[in-house]
Amino acid sequence: MSRRLVGSVAATLVMVLAAGCGGSSEADGKIELSLGLFSDFGYDKLIEEYMASHSNIKIEQRKVKMEQHNTQLATQLAGGRGAADIVALEEGVISQFRASKDKFVNLAEYGAKDLKDQWAEWKWNQGTADGGEFVLGLGTDMGSLGLCYRRDLFEAAGLPTDRTEVAKLWPTWEDYAKVADQFTAKTPNVKFVDTGRNVYKAILDQTEEGYFSAKDDSYIAESNAKVKTAFETAAAIGAKQQTGALEPFSQDWNVALKQGSFATTTCPAWALALIKAGAGDAAAGKWDVTTAPGGGGNWGGSFLAVPKQGKHPKEAYELAKWLTAPEQQKRIFKETGNLPSQPKVYQDAEVQATVNDYFNNAPVGQIFATSAESLKPTYRGTKDSKVGPVFGTALTRVEQGKQSAADAWTQALKEAQDAAK
Amino acid sequence: MTVTRQETETASAVSVSSSKEPKRFKLSHWDAKYTPYLVIAPFFLVFGIFGLYPLVYTAWVSLHDWQLIDGDQGFVGLENYVRLFGDANFWNALFNTLSLFVLSTVPQLLAALGLAALLDRGLRGSAFWRAGVLLPNVISVAAVALVFAQFFGRDFGIVNFLLGFVGVDPIDWRAETWASHLAVSTMVMWRWTGYNALLYLAAMQSVPKDMYESATLDGASRWRMFWSITVPSIRPTILFTVVTSTIGGLQLFAEPALFDPGFAANNSTGGSDRQFQTLVLYMYEKGFRLFDAGYAATVAWMLFVVVLLVAIVNFTLTRRIAGKE
Repeated sequence: MSRRLVGSVAATLVMVLAAGCGGSSEADGKIELSLGLFSDFGYDKLIEEYMASHSNIKIEQRKVKMEQHNTQLATQLAGGRGAADIVALEEGVISQFRASKDKFVNLAEYGAKDLKDQWAEWKWNQGTADGGEFVLGLGTDMGSLGLCYRRDLFEAAGLPTDRTEVAKLWPTWEDYAKVADQFTAKTPNVKFVDTGRNVYKAILDQTEEGYFSAKDDSYIAESNAKVKTAFETAAAIGAKQQTGALEPFSQDWNVALKQGSFATTTCPAWALALIKAGAGDAAAGKWDVTTAPGGGGNWGGSFLAVPKQGKHPKEAYELAKWLTAPEQQKRIFKETGNLPSQPKVYQDAEVQATVNDYFNNAPVGQIFATSAESLKPTYRGTKDSKVGPVFGTALTRVEQGKQSAADAWTQALKEAQDAAK
Repeated sequence: MTVTRQETETASAVSVSSSKEPKRFKLSHWDAKYTPYLVIAPFFLVFGIFGLYPLVYTAWVSLHDWQLIDGDQGFVGLENYVRLFGDANFWNALFNTLSLFVLSTVPQLLAALGLAALLDRGLRGSAFWRAGVLLPNVISVAAVALVFAQFFGRDFGIVNFLLGFVGVDPIDWRAETWASHLAVSTMVMWRWTGYNALLYLAAMQSVPKDMYESATLDGASRWRMFWSITVPSIRPTILFTVVTSTIGGLQLFAEPALFDPGFAANNSTGGSDRQFQTLVLYMYEKGFRLFDAGYAATVAWMLFVVVLLVAIVNFTLTRRIAGKE
């Protein structure tokens, strides 16, 4: 018992010390700025350049997994210390942090409002509060929606493989479900889609309102027919065992990618890198990208915000401004494929001409830019990130054969109501 | 508990020695009297900061509507506790915790006992085997959980692959309550069986050998000797391991958390229908996903009460059985 206690005390001490080291400080006269990020923002080279041109600034990147990042940031904001000077806020959770905006610097104080026209209007709005008076974060990338499919598996199922032909198969999600039936009839041992959860999320991201009212942030999941339709469409595919019932982007998902055990998956721009990493070189050229059923939508993309507890808000703002500027967004797109959230950049001829050789030379610049043009961003309520997962687990119950779609829906509504309180 | 007992023992030992030599200087008398307290003070200081203070503060938080980021939203008295008692998810988590505790602890301690008996028979290269059984315990729990989570994979897991040879259909280890409990318990057993076996082994080695000799002369079988001599002789150690396993088992977190692929996605409900959500996982969900720190603190305090209750039961058992001897 005491050994475990000593262990936990030691662990706590280490954490406290680590947190203590986290704050920015001025060593050898330089201003130290830390960047709290998750996954790959593509900033490595940019940061080196920035340090070379600003000799008084030293930048440190901290990368953790996104979910851990959000939880950590919440505790750091609550504790009043330990947060990085610049933190990334993902689109799915920014509304939650917007409710605690007094913990962040209003970037308008440093002139952020002058930058407004760089971004797509909806992207700018997502990063602000109080009708645009409070600038919480500057937009980085966005997650306009596409759909990825395995050419070889489509061929085996007697479906077309050309991306324009494939796009014609599914103008709507109902058509997509029909293709799933055809696919399963021909090749019953391969799953048509990785998980019903992403289908659901994609459908919902194509509507302007989801769980909460854009007008007054009130909870409307029960009365919003679009939520129910999205759930039923995804649940129907799941109930027919046409999904892999996988946890999105998990280890199992990676294994399934490598084994080629599912044929389609929803593809926000940033997912291309994940698919490539999971499926590996052996699957090069087998995956392709096309337009998603139901038109454009946005899933993901982030913002850079400056917590108030930092010592150098002005320098932090300057860095965030530079990292999100059009020239840098264009470079990041070319290096990582993260889609710029600024129309001037994604309409740029060079960006539009970009192809992705791993995905059978798909014209990703054009596909995602077109999707970005037509997208209607979903309003995210303050408690969106709390309510959303409830419907995800409900779909998993359907996929696992534990519940009927109707029962799962009823239980999800009950739990969601609880989470929305 | 153990520390306090040691402290009184040391203190009385010291006072006995000082009363033997009454002519010593006052300073050394003071020294003998208070040094033990000084020596153990750091423990209580650290305990006060990292143990007692959070405990009291958690109780305070549990009486408030407390949001993780925004802090105190007002005093609500016992409202969180009232909510908790009517919360089906809490009772589900309590059931899971107790079920996982029983499923992992009972076979674990029995296996440890058997393992210790084998090690006690003077195997060739005993140091190697003894170090070997401890190995699972020194491997990071995260690594163990990741490997086991893959073993128990639904589509490409090795356990389902092996079961296929004996004609068992693939099991979705995360979908069914009993299957998930079995898988998580396996992880716990893997980690702690060797550790407990070594404790038993240490106790077994202090059992006087002449007892076995006379039993052999009387014609007792090995089996009989084990249950009639070995087990009764190491009873205090068995009770110690029961207590530590109880505390560890009721606070189960890392194994079920990492077994749930949703945990990485901060969707940590311990299964699609909370099949293996323990109390600590439920506390984590409330506190760090839903940011309801007040309610999470309430769950934490109820967990403390549960551990306390089970510990008291164990403690009474210890005293009763020790009193018999």
